[in-house]
Amino acid sequence: MNSADEISQIAEDLSSITGPEYSRRGINDITVSPADTRQIASVLDFAYKKRLAVSAQGGETKQGWGQGVRPSIYISLARLNRIIEHPWQDLTCTVQAGCTWSSLQRTLMLHRQFVALDPLFEDRATVGGVLATNDSGALRHRYGSLRDLVIGMTLVLPDGTIAKTGGKVVKNVAGYDLCKLMTGSFGTLAIITEANFRLHPIPQHIRDFSIAASHASDFAPLLAMIRASHLLTQSLQIRRSDSGFHLDVRLNAHPESHHDGILSQMTRDEGFVLEEAPESIWKAREILFAPDAIVLRIATLPVDVCEYADKLQLLRPVIQVQSISQANGLHEVALRGSSNEIEAIIRQLRADATHPHTTISVLQQNRDIEVVAFDISSPVLSLMKAVKDQFDPNCILNPGKFFAEA
Amino acid sequence: MHTLLTSDIVSELRRIVGEKGLITAPNQLQTYECDGLTAFRVPPAAVLLPESTEQVQNILRLCHREKIAFVARGAGTGLSGGALPAEGSIVIGLSRMNRILNIDIPNQQITVQPGVINANVTAAVAPDGYFYAPDPSSQTVCSIGGNIAENAGGAHCLKYGFTVTHVLEMTVVLPNGELVTLGGKVPSAAGYDLAGVFIGSEGTLGVATEMTLRIMRKPETVQVILAAFNSISAAAQSVSDVIASSQLPAAMEIMDRLSIEAAEISVHPNYPACEALLLIELDGPEAEVNLQMATVIEICKNNGAWETRLAIDDNARFLVWKGRKAAFAAAGRLSPNYIVQDGVIPRTSLPAVLEQLNAMAAADHLRVTNVFHAGDGNLHPIVLYNRDNPGEEERAINLSLRILDVCVEAGGSITGEHGVGREKQCSMSYMFSDPDLETMQRVRRAFDPFNLANPDKLFPTPRLCGERSRGAYAPHPVEASGIAEVF
Repeated sequence: MNSADEISQIAEDLSSITGPEYSRRGINDITVSPADTRQIASVLDFAYKKRLAVSAQGGETKQGWGQGVRPSIYISLARLNRIIEHPWQDLTCTVQAGCTWSSLQRTLMLHRQFVALDPLFEDRATVGGVLATNDSGALRHRYGSLRDLVIGMTLVLPDGTIAKTGGKVVKNVAGYDLCKLMTGSFGTLAIITEANFRLHPIPQHIRDFSIAASHASDFAPLLAMIRASHLLTQSLQIRRSDSGFHLDVRLNAHPESHHDGILSQMTRDEGFVLEEAPESIWKAREILFAPDAIVLRIATLPVDVCEYADKLQLLRPVIQVQSISQANGLHEVALRGSSNEIEAIIRQLRADATHPHTTISVLQQNRDIEVVAFDISSPVLSLMKAVKDQFDPNCILNPGKFFAEA
Repeated sequence: MHTLLTSDIVSELRRIVGEKGLITAPNQLQTYECDGLTAFRVPPAAVLLPESTEQVQNILRLCHREKIAFVARGAGTGLSGGALPAEGSIVIGLSRMNRILNIDIPNQQITVQPGVINANVTAAVAPDGYFYAPDPSSQTVCSIGGNIAENAGGAHCLKYGFTVTHVLEMTVVLPNGELVTLGGKVPSAAGYDLAGVFIGSEGTLGVATEMTLRIMRKPETVQVILAAFNSISAAAQSVSDVIASSQLPAAMEIMDRLSIEAAEISVHPNYPACEALLLIELDGPEAEVNLQMATVIEICKNNGAWETRLAIDDNARFLVWKGRKAAFAAAGRLSPNYIVQDGVIPRTSLPAVLEQLNAMAAADHLRVTNVFHAGDGNLHPIVLYNRDNPGEEERAINLSLRILDVCVEAGGSITGEHGVGREKQCSMSYMFSDPDLETMQRVRRAFDPFNLANPDKLFPTPRLCGERSRGAYAPHPVEASGIAEVF
């Protein structure tokens, strides 16, 4: 922690980079809003030499994700909010990292295209923040995650180096694909200032359905059948509400393919009722991420999804549990209760994860709880640390965010 | 540089892989002195053919201890010299590690060893109605390990993505011999996406010895349309129009007159004789594909296609694709020697770039034939030449590299799927700036601080690229270990 005098001095130095109107002093920290990539490089170069902790800031929807110490400097990407180009016939776009997700999508929609990803809080979340946290929603079932959608980036390294990686074309294997490394690195390696995406045409046909049951396991045979079928499913999730479990399905097929009829028949054969559902079911994820909840991301094998969703409910009534599970095996689980109870539950879940493939991460924690956020095994953790050391030897970018002891 | 392999080291290697797993006889080493890029040849000091992850680990531990460079090799079909030995290096051939270890249909995964042939993965899951999506043209002979090193693509990556999209988990032996698991059988492994960086790193970060791949449900219907045009531009415009109509075909390919002729002589696919042949494959639910195909045919006709031919049944489709996939080999019918290039451009600049390429070829008195993955802007110009004509090979190599410059100038890339390897490393500094390359080197140093894994590849070096190299310098292992100094 820096003294008040030090903070004042830092604030003065930073305002000479961004101009005083774009440098705001808080009690223990300073927030700067650089105009462009170059100014971000200057701020980082300054922080690197002084060994001051820095966090990049977008829409502040996921600042509580992962652990970490409070930085001295917040670099706001708010002024880097332009969509630079959308060569729609090439199905690509270039956008600055501070642009909100929804404003990007609105522009792309003019040509019936989109980045095929539905992250949380699209009106506030920025491109950079979504990339740094590798957020994804129900669209992942059909289109994959960000790693399949980002084709290029402009980065600023902690020492102020500006580097580009990837490019503007969809197919490109020249050199290491650092986009992959940056996506989901929680701002610990570099600050992303610009990104190039590959785009998809917006599906012309969309129908949403929901099926209700009291236990998620009841869905297991039906879910397996849908996954093995030829149905054009865009999204497939198991959602827990107060009234029990729901299997939500979005179909993309042309009406003449009669996929709704096929799905309806499959559902009936399994003894369930298929009902039309409102579009809002795909936004249910956002309820999990209310600021007071601790949110876990748990990954299981696809075949274990239903059973695991049921298992999560056994944690009640000690603490409150809400969950949404994607058919691919990704569960997001909101926990509410005392810190002690939640810590005990996370430890218990990790101890119970006898299946070697199950991983349990603490994604959102807006208050301190004493468990490791990311449970990474030791040989690969050392390799990750070696990468971190190469990119950020002074450890100024989000210290403690990935590596608890850093 | 002379080989560093003392007789003690050779005996130690023999103890690791056994007599059958070690090749040191010069005539046998010749097989390994180049890959599909035959213009570059370097004999390795020894070739090792391990049969297990443990053997690979032991080899790399020894290499680490003795600071011996190593080059991993799959089937040797690469076209950029990625498996070209470094001087004095050993080659680790993974062809004996060719077992399919586990097929898990309910989770839509398959676990294999690196020597498994690409097409055999699909063959293993086809009875259950699944397939492995990446399909490089060499898929009947190339191996999964090599596919991972190069992040192999293929005609269908327009819709299905590249190798990196389909690899879930890898067991990797790091250059110091340590074993790590990258990625995971479940989604979103915690921490940095090192699997994403490893795939496509061309053997410079370690050796993958086991991999779990995603398999996909075979589409209900597949239809291919062949459309004949009087110009490449008209075919290219059709591609743009298909994209604009909000469709994402499984593949969109263009062949020019020369490559059509070559394919015809070579495998007789019975293509219409035309200036440009456009091949579009649609897959998915039958009713959906029928509707989309009607739109596609209309688009082609509107752009002047004078013949459209629909291939629906397996045999007809097989023949259509056979001609396209044989295009590289068929170039051998046109000319004794040829270089296949692999540039990428934004799809919309295709007509302009082609005009430029043709002018460049004409000025150099060389013939260039073209096949493209038009949907994603990936060009494969094939420069034809005769090695026996003095100076022609140099001119051909030079032209093929200048073609890459044109791709970069158009906003594209020097390689879409073949990799940088030895062939294009000097072009890297045309595409990337110093800081870009230096940033990549940080990853390399984290994985391989002694620069032992496939050294002298991918990055430009002063020795190979002369003044054009503006890349970061990494010390040669001999230099790093204090045996030699750079003067």
